[in-house]
Amino acid sequence: MAQYYPGTTKVAKNRNRFSDPDVELEKLREISDEAVVNILGHRAPGEEYPSVHPPLEEMDEPDDAIREMVVPLDGAKAGDRVRYIQFSDSMYFAPAHPFVRSRSYLCRYRGADAGTLSGRQIIETRERDLEKYSKELLETEWFDPARTGIRGKTVHGHSLRLDEDGMMFDMLRRLVMNKSTGKVEAVKNQIGDELDEPIVMGEPLDEATLKEKTTIYRKDGEAYRDDADAVEILHRIHVTRSQGGFMPE
Amino acid sequence: MDIEIFPHRLLGADTTEKLLINLEKVEGVKRMVLQGQRLPPKGEEDPDRKTITIHGEEVDLQVKTGRVLLEIEEEEIIDQIRTVCDEYLTFGYNIHVGTFIRKQKTVSDVIKYGEQLSDISEEMVGLTDQNAQLSERAVIIKKDD
Repeated sequence: MAQYYPGTTKVAKNRNRFSDPDVELEKLREISDEAVVNILGHRAPGEEYPSVHPPLEEMDEPDDAIREMVVPLDGAKAGDRVRYIQFSDSMYFAPAHPFVRSRSYLCRYRGADAGTLSGRQIIETRERDLEKYSKELLETEWFDPARTGIRGKTVHGHSLRLDEDGMMFDMLRRLVMNKSTGKVEAVKNQIGDELDEPIVMGEPLDEATLKEKTTIYRKDGEAYRDDADAVEILHRIHVTRSQGGFMPE
Repeated sequence: MDIEIFPHRLLGADTTEKLLINLEKVEGVKRMVLQGQRLPPKGEEDPDRKTITIHGEEVDLQVKTGRVLLEIEEEEIIDQIRTVCDEYLTFGYNIHVGTFIRKQKTVSDVIKYGEQLSDISEEMVGLTDQNAQLSERAVIIKKDD
């Protein structure tokens, strides 16, 4: 098995699992295509995909070896717009976190652009491909209804203490815990517009499962410094980077 | 002296209300400050944005409680405060002793209040952010005689 991330701890192994495109991640919940479109908020369900250029087949493209070699994405073929989904991951043992998302997106999803910030992570690609990727990101281990937020804007909250009911702080209250069912419901789309019907995102994972699945090193979980293998690789990268960058005239 | 109660979770309005009602009953608590993330303006739908009642006084809850700062008269009452916290902060908390509430009037106060500064009592100093109106944020709860 290819090694995508160094280290011998559980966290390192989880990072490796996420990044390896051959690993099929466990499906934890069922979310309909229509619900995914509603959460994204880029178009109404059932609406035609708006396009920014005619389908590639109808375009008179210049002869080019690379154009022939690279198979276009479905969305690119049809001329879709580029759209996004953005996640915030709580520091309290969320399953994924921005850097592992970027690393994994680039390994798993062709034709997608990933952007990483400290508290949020965005993926941009053609609309119909984005919907396919988003469904996977929401249904599988990438997502936990309590510790992961789908936040196109007002992302603040990843480093705050959790709410009493275990939810990550969200100024716009897009995902809320339904106390009577014990399940989390999405009541707003990713940019905070009200949804007509709440979308059930399922029950949050319990603390023990999250600690088992997390890709975050933490002192009260698995500390990075305890992963001798990962630290050694980090040191090696640091030294070779410094030496490689040092070029006396 | 001041203490800071640092809950391990952000508190909802109900827990905040219960906690404050019981902290208020502890003899020797002079001032309390709630610190936390600001909640959306009144009128917007948020279950934590509500008015709570402490000892008959209505307090408009404007933040999601992250820290409770208390000015206390003597160190001995910390044990009583711990008993209250044990009951309502079941997910854990820390209590730190230190100086958390400003006690002296400053140049910023002079700029803010001008000549009226001398009318403001020492007890009202340090209760709000410098850019906030004291009347919007501070509530006086009278003790029973």
